Amino acid sequence: MLAKTSGQRPALDDRSWVRGLLILSALAFLLLFLVLPLVSVFVEAFRRGVGAYWDALIEPDALSAIHLTLIVAAIAVPLNLVFGVAASWCISKFDFRGKGLLITLIDLPFSVSPVISGIIYVLLFGLHGVVGPFLKSQGIQIIFAVPGLVLATIFVTFPFVARELIPLMQEQGTEEEEAALVLGASGWQTFWRVTLPNIKWGLMYGVLLCNARAMGEFGAVSVVSGHIRGETNTMPLHVEILYNEYNFVAAFSVASVLAMLALVTLVAKTALEWRFGAELAATRH
Amino acid sequence: MAIQVSGITKQFGHYRALDQVDLEVRSGELLALLGPSGSGKTTLLRIMAGLESADSGSLQLHGEEALGLSPRERQVGFVFQHYALFRHMTVFDNVAFGLKVRPRAQRFGRSEIKRRVMELLELVQLAHFADRYPAQLSGGQRQRVALARALAIEPKVLLLDEPFGALDAKVRKELRRWLRKLHDDIHITSVFVTHDQEEALELADRVVVMSQGRIEQVGSPADVYDHPASAFVYEFLGQVNRFDCTVADGVARVANGALAIPTENGVQGEAIAYVRPHDLGLSPSAGGPGRVSGIHVVGPDARVEVDLAGLTLEAEMDRERLSFLGLRPGDRCAVHIDRARVFPRR
Repeated sequence: MLAKTSGQRPALDDRSWVRGLLILSALAFLLLFLVLPLVSVFVEAFRRGVGAYWDALIEPDALSAIHLTLIVAAIAVPLNLVFGVAASWCISKFDFRGKGLLITLIDLPFSVSPVISGIIYVLLFGLHGVVGPFLKSQGIQIIFAVPGLVLATIFVTFPFVARELIPLMQEQGTEEEEAALVLGASGWQTFWRVTLPNIKWGLMYGVLLCNARAMGEFGAVSVVSGHIRGETNTMPLHVEILYNEYNFVAAFSVASVLAMLALVTLVAKTALEWRFGAELAATRH
Repeated sequence: MAIQVSGITKQFGHYRALDQVDLEVRSGELLALLGPSGSGKTTLLRIMAGLESADSGSLQLHGEEALGLSPRERQVGFVFQHYALFRHMTVFDNVAFGLKVRPRAQRFGRSEIKRRVMELLELVQLAHFADRYPAQLSGGQRQRVALARALAIEPKVLLLDEPFGALDAKVRKELRRWLRKLHDDIHITSVFVTHDQEEALELADRVVVMSQGRIEQVGSPADVYDHPASAFVYEFLGQVNRFDCTVADGVARVANGALAIPTENGVQGEAIAYVRPHDLGLSPSAGGPGRVSGIHVVGPDARVEVDLAGLTLEAEMDRERLSFLGLRPGDRCAVHIDRARVFPRR
């Protein structure tokens, strides 16, 4: 069979051989770098059984970390949703001076190391920072407290919604909005009835990504957190502390919750694409 | 007067899109703004709709100054070249949009909106498609939905920006006949923009020819075609032979006197003459000054190219006439031109 095809159509045979190799290497890569680590997280988490796993999660410090992570995400994600929509609306529907600069600025958090993002806030709001002493005299603490965590998370996750929406809105152009205005709609009516429905799937996608990053952010948050157990530790920070204390089961248990959040995000994204694929395609063209 | 444009000027950076434009649109007429791209025709239309602002001048809609009004206050219908239908709404909801966004006090009840929308969909022959989405319609159908949507708000004037520009040739022709008929039925004052001279000449009551932000000529289709007011209009409308000549005593001499043509207007000296291909007569003549260099037959018409003292002229006639003359490539011929318009050479 092989001899026969290679004799008749060597080129095609070559190609299918190469194709097989490529597929195999891609699968091997996936297995090695994605599936194995993910599985090992769960294997390690359940190494001492379900009881130990559960205990690690309901321990007060872990609960506080989960709680804090949810709070930070609950503040950062809606704010970034509003910022993201506003920024992409400005950039894609209006022409103004400094537009290129604004686009670059929006991308900044992607190009700057998260650690630097954290340090910026320490330099600004820390005790020896620019406005830190003034805030301290007013009794407001930002660094080593929840506001700092929220600020750092907002900064790091800022581009997700805007990056998702800008190309989409630029492609859709402004004609539908113009049509709505001529038909007698107000600015708000145009936004709610025309603009928002056209971007809702892209927006949801951006929010999902933003949320995943907000919950999983480590670098920037680590700098501003101060690692106060039960107070300023988010889940990723808590995992690190537990791991450094050789408390592997607890570390992987908390890590598994984060991993599940990521999986839920992926499933939600896939479900969105599957359920509304046709509509997604329609709003993109 | 439905629309009165006076002294409208619009500048985009260093580029002057409109330069002191004056125009009157009569009630109930179908007016074409015709010009090449960059002539300012779309800018003028968008200023009428309020989608673009004017730098100076005045615009009156039915006697009311409108430049200060927002698009929603002007009550104009606007049809976009690429339809601009709301892609996430059904055909019904698209047409109903303008009725649904009215302030509560002026809004019709649900059943009245439905009645009006269905009436409009009947008008554009799309009642069966009320539940479809725009993506499921053909280009011609989409543009009819866009038209119904624009008419739903009972506009005082209807503005159409290259309404057939995105359609293929056959649909374009059908749709423009249909639009002409619709206009004859409902008589709404309409202005449409086009770069297609055939479309403007066939469809419009009056044609406005624009170039470089200025109006070159306003007139009936026959008027602008038969009596172009400027060299630009001559070259832009229809096929034309253009050649340098010297005019003295009402006679234009072409190619050192190889051809002498009577002229109509009092231009003297160095000039450019324009002759339509169907105003150029040919007859076989062994000692004639011209030589047939090519014959192209397109459907029922024939285009004959003639070399005359270094110039290439084009004549147009029907095929019967051509076979009657018996001209073939390489034959010598005489060239008769009854009339030519000449414009001073700049």
